[in-house]
Formats: sequence, structure tokens, C-alpha cells
Amino acid sequence: MVKVGIPRALLYYQYYPMWKTFFEGLGAEVVVSPTTTQATLAAGSSRVVADTCLPVKVFCGHVLALVDKCDYIFIPALRSVKSKIYNCSKFLGLPDMTRAVIPECPPILDIDIDINKGKRRLYQYIYELGRHLSRNPLKVRKAALAAWKAHHEYKELMVNKGLTPPQAIAGVNAEKHSTPNQASIALVGHPYLLYDELINHRLIHRLEQAGYRVLTPEMLTPEQLEIAITRLTGQPYWTYEEEVVGCGGHYLESGVEGVIGVIAFGCGPDSLMMDMVQRQAIRLGTTPFMSLTLEEHTAEAGVATRLEAFLDMIQRRKRIEAKLCV
Amino acid sequence: MRIGVPHMGNLYIPLKALLERLELDFVIPPVNNQRTLSLGVRYSPEGMCIPFKLTLGNLIEAAEAGADTMLMPSGSGICRLGYYAKTQEQVLRSLGYDAEIVSVGVSQRKLFGLLEVIKRLSNNAPWSKIISAFRFGLTKLNVLDEIERAVQKVRPVELVKGTANQLFTQAVKATEQADDYKSLKRVKSDYLEQLNQVERDENAEPLVVGIIGEFYVLLEPFSNMDVEKELGKLGVEVRRSIFTSEWTKFSLFLNPLGVNEKDRLHKAAMPYLKRDIGGEGWESVGEKVLHAKDYDGLVHLAPFTCMPEIVAQNIMPSTKENIPVLTILCDEQLGKPGMLTRLEAFVDLLKHRRRAKVKV
Repeated sequence: MVKVGIPRALLYYQYYPMWKTFFEGLGAEVVVSPTTTQATLAAGSSRVVADTCLPVKVFCGHVLALVDKCDYIFIPALRSVKSKIYNCSKFLGLPDMTRAVIPECPPILDIDIDINKGKRRLYQYIYELGRHLSRNPLKVRKAALAAWKAHHEYKELMVNKGLTPPQAIAGVNAEKHSTPNQASIALVGHPYLLYDELINHRLIHRLEQAGYRVLTPEMLTPEQLEIAITRLTGQPYWTYEEEVVGCGGHYLESGVEGVIGVIAFGCGPDSLMMDMVQRQAIRLGTTPFMSLTLEEHTAEAGVATRLEAFLDMIQRRKRIEAKLCV
Repeated sequence: MRIGVPHMGNLYIPLKALLERLELDFVIPPVNNQRTLSLGVRYSPEGMCIPFKLTLGNLIEAAEAGADTMLMPSGSGICRLGYYAKTQEQVLRSLGYDAEIVSVGVSQRKLFGLLEVIKRLSNNAPWSKIISAFRFGLTKLNVLDEIERAVQKVRPVELVKGTANQLFTQAVKATEQADDYKSLKRVKSDYLEQLNQVERDENAEPLVVGIIGEFYVLLEPFSNMDVEKELGKLGVEVRRSIFTSEWTKFSLFLNPLGVNEKDRLHKAAMPYLKRDIGGEGWESVGEKVLHAKDYDGLVHLAPFTCMPEIVAQNIMPSTKENIPVLTILCDEQLGKPGMLTRLEAFVDLLKHRRRAKVKV
């Protein structure tokens, strides 16, 4: 059976169920790289120039982990999923860049995803992609439709049940056992930063240990995100602007205890988007906001200390507010 | 209403000509200097690139001089540039300036984007007036670039170092002051003639180094620490295909028709990079492939954290066409002595390489 490798990084968290359904529908076996380890990161960083951002280094590490384990590696070049909205250069150049820095990589299945070129062109690209695995266009169509359905189910699962992407992928079925009135902290940022436990030093776990319910961008409906984004910046510019500006804008006014913005050092789009959220936080002055910048050298102790300080500050604030009320 | 514009190399000269001819009230902020940079760095988000920081510094200085309507390029599908205006407007507001940023859509609307904005700002001046003012601005731009090309040739071989640079400074001033086509023509022929007369070392065979990379840092000498002049001092002839005039020609006029130099670069880059990645990433890879044979080396300039150029930088080493590339990342931390040492080492390497080639 043909094996298609999918690196557990970047867009994996958004689209894995869709991709898996598609390739399995075409009779391929899907191989996912193991979760990120220090070794993955070290291997990835050794291949790219130093200024490349952390998530891309992690991505290269995952591709290296898949070498020799599959016949193809699937790396899409995702330009735009909504009209007139474009993505970061690193996503656009991802297949070409991987080919350049990892010459031993198995053949790359790349696909241009660009809504601006029209539906027809997109369908064409999907057929071209499918042709590597099946000569039967009807089979490709069937697989693509099933994949689309799987994607919607995945999204709904996260919105309705409040699951995070790794939980939804793993099929964790337990409803979140949240006690009512439990204080919550919202995380803002791209899924590849929030759910990769190595690079964020188990941020979600730490917050849950401290007794908070953790809210993430996936738990919001597209409508909620759109309303928030329009309020903050008007017309969105970046492909994943809703995860940052939309989500940040929404949570800042939703009565959570605090909002933590997670960005990777040197991230182009985030340097601007997180700034928008920060400005909004300052303007509102109601919800505490902390921005956490991650890179290879971010030490676990550093993250833990900042988190502690942030949570202490929230606690203190609550106490003072309680006193004032009395 | 008083218009303010950011700087990019000598672009302020044609812009000034254009705005003057339309009898608009405008401010040209001081040319980029240490204060501009400090202001920009101070009020920019942490991870931003140097073009943002410098243009923000310009806008703040323009606002200090009373400008309330800023012209900034923008557009979708390029890089962070498309988002500059939104953030810079917020920064200006938070500093207490009630300024509006008018974005000039350079990526989709091409020439028309700029013309439309100008028409709106000039209170609906007749098209004939706008186009004639625009034409005059473009002529100035072309004159400047033509003189600069000549300067690039003279710099490495002149006997008295610095002559060409001095002439260029004078030429820029003269071009700025010229106020009709006739005097502009005279400036051009005068200075080209003077450059021609500069005494040069007839036996010199200067190394040829191409300058490639991101648009703004290529064209704004303040941001790249005068890399071209420094290379000239080291006796290196600099070639650069990105000129301001070239860009206006290609991205404003010819792009919609599809006849341009860019296509050639894209075709060359195809085996290594198949798609446009925004900014000048595609072109950078293309230039390396295309000029591997005819240049001795390439200096690749990019702002620190520039997304397209990082992708290009990752791809470049893997091309079959081999040529030494020195990447210099520009930001406020770039120190001149450090850069000079790297340039010297690079030029030494190229000299050795050439000698080795001659022996073979």
C-alpha cells in the first residue's frame, strides 16, 4: 500500500482529519510523524538558516522524521482560503523550501490552495493531487467530498464540545468536566504553537493544573470571530487572522480572567496581529493580557515563572476587587 | 490638509515634483537619520522589519511638521507591507496625532491605484494635469536612476576615491531643483558627461557583484549602511536590477501587459521555487540562478525577520548554479564595522576565486 506521510506540524492541527480521509479514500496509508521532541527540533534547526521561525524549524524536523517511512510526503502550499486574503510567505514556499533543505525527502505531494483563482482551478488542483494515487477521477471526487465532510465534523466537534484539536483528533469523547463558574484563561495564537507541548512547555497543562479552564480559538464559531475581527481591524488581511485578532478581540471582552497571546519569535504576521490585540487590551483596560514569545531558547523555567506571575497578578486583582465590593 | 510621505531612497524627489505641480500642500520629512530610526524602533511592535520602523519614523516626523494625510503603499498578497498602514495609523493615533493614512494599493490596482488617490487628494484636478505632473515625476526618477547606473560603473575604477559619490550627491540636488524638462535634460547630460570625464584606472578589472534582495533595503542606503558605496571603495562594481524607476515601470505600467524582466527571473527560479511567495523572494532566487555565470558574487540584502527573503535564503544554497552569496540582514542592530569586515572577507574570497579561475 502507498504510504503518505503527514508532518505533525503547522497546518496539521487544522486539517489533519480532512487530509487523512482524503488519502485513505484513495487507498493510501497515512503516516504521521511522532510528537515533537527536543531531537525533532534540533534536527529541523540544523537544516534551515538561523532566522527561520520556530514552527518552520519544527516542521522540518517532522519531515526528517518521516524520511524512509513513507513513499510521499504531503505538503500543501496554502495561499488563501478566503477571497483576497493571503498567507505568510513561509506557508507559500513550504514545499519548495522543504525540497531545498531536505534533499533526501521522499517525493513531495504539493498542492496550491488559492481561492482567488476560482473554484474550478481549486478542483483541478485536487484532481492533480489525487492522480498521484488513483487514476479514477470519480474516486478522487468521492474522497474529496468525504474529506470535506470530515473537516466540517472535526470543526463542529471542537466548537460544540469545547475540545482542542489534539483531543478531537485522538477521539477523546469525554465532555469537558468543567465546574460551572470555573475561572478561565483564554489562549490566543496559532494551533501549531498552542498544541505543540514541546515548544510551548505544556502551557495548557500548566494552566489546568493551576485550576483554570483553558479556552482556545477553535472553541469559537466563525461568526463570533468575524464580528470581533471586523470591530478591531475591518477587513482581515492574513489567512489565519481570526485565530489571533478575531480570537483575541472576542476573548478580551468575554469576561475571562486573562488572555495570553502566544507568538513565535520572528513571526511576520503575528508581530503585527498580536500588536493589534495588545493595543485593544490596553484600550479596553478590563482584561489582563500577556504576550508570550516562544523560540528555541525559551526555557521551561522562564515560561513557568512568567505564567506564575501572571496568575498571581490575576488573583491579587480579584482580591482587591472583592474588597472594593464589600 | 497637508500630505506627508515616507522615504525610500531618492523617491522623495519625483514625489515632490508630482505634488508641487499639483499645487498640493505637503511635507517631506527629514531624510532618514538616527532620530528617524530611534523613533521608529521605539514605537514599532517588537518583531517588525526595518522598512516598517523607518517609514513609521518618517510618518512621525511628518506629523510633527503638521502633516495630517499620509501616503503609504499597501495592497494584498505581498507581505507585511499590506498591513503597515493599519498599524502605523494606530501608532500615530496613540501618539496623539490626528492623522489619516491613505493607502495606495500598489499590488492590485498598479498605476491606477496611485493615480486615483492623487486625483482624490487634489480635489479632483483634471486628469490631464495629473498625468502631466506624474510624467514629470517619472522623468526625474529616470534621470536619477540613469545617473546612478553611471556612478556604479565609475565608483570602483576612479583614481580619486569618492569623486563619483560627490558628483552623485550634486546630481541629486540638481535634479531636485530642476523644474522643467529642459533643465532636467541639461542636468542629465551634464552629470553623465562629468562622470565620463572622471579619471580612471584603465587596467582595472573590477569584480562584479550583484546586489539582490528585498526592495526597500536595496533602495534605501540608510538601512543598508551604504553597502554599495562601501563595495565601491573596495574596488567592486555593483550591479543591481531593482531600481526605483524600473519598479514603477514594471509594477505600474508593464505588469498588466505581462512584458517584463520579472518573468525572466521567475522562469529562472522555476526549478527551485515554483510560486510567488510575496515580496521579492521569487526574484531573489531567480537572480541567483540567472547571474551565476556573469557575476563574481552576490550580496543578498534582507530586513531581519523578512518572511519572503528567509524562504529565498533557505532555497538559494540548493541551486545547481553556483555563486558565492553573502546575506546581510539589516535592522537597527546592524553595526557598520561588523558589516565592513564581512564585506572585506567576502571580497577577498571573490578575488581568490577569480585568481584560481584564471590559473585553470
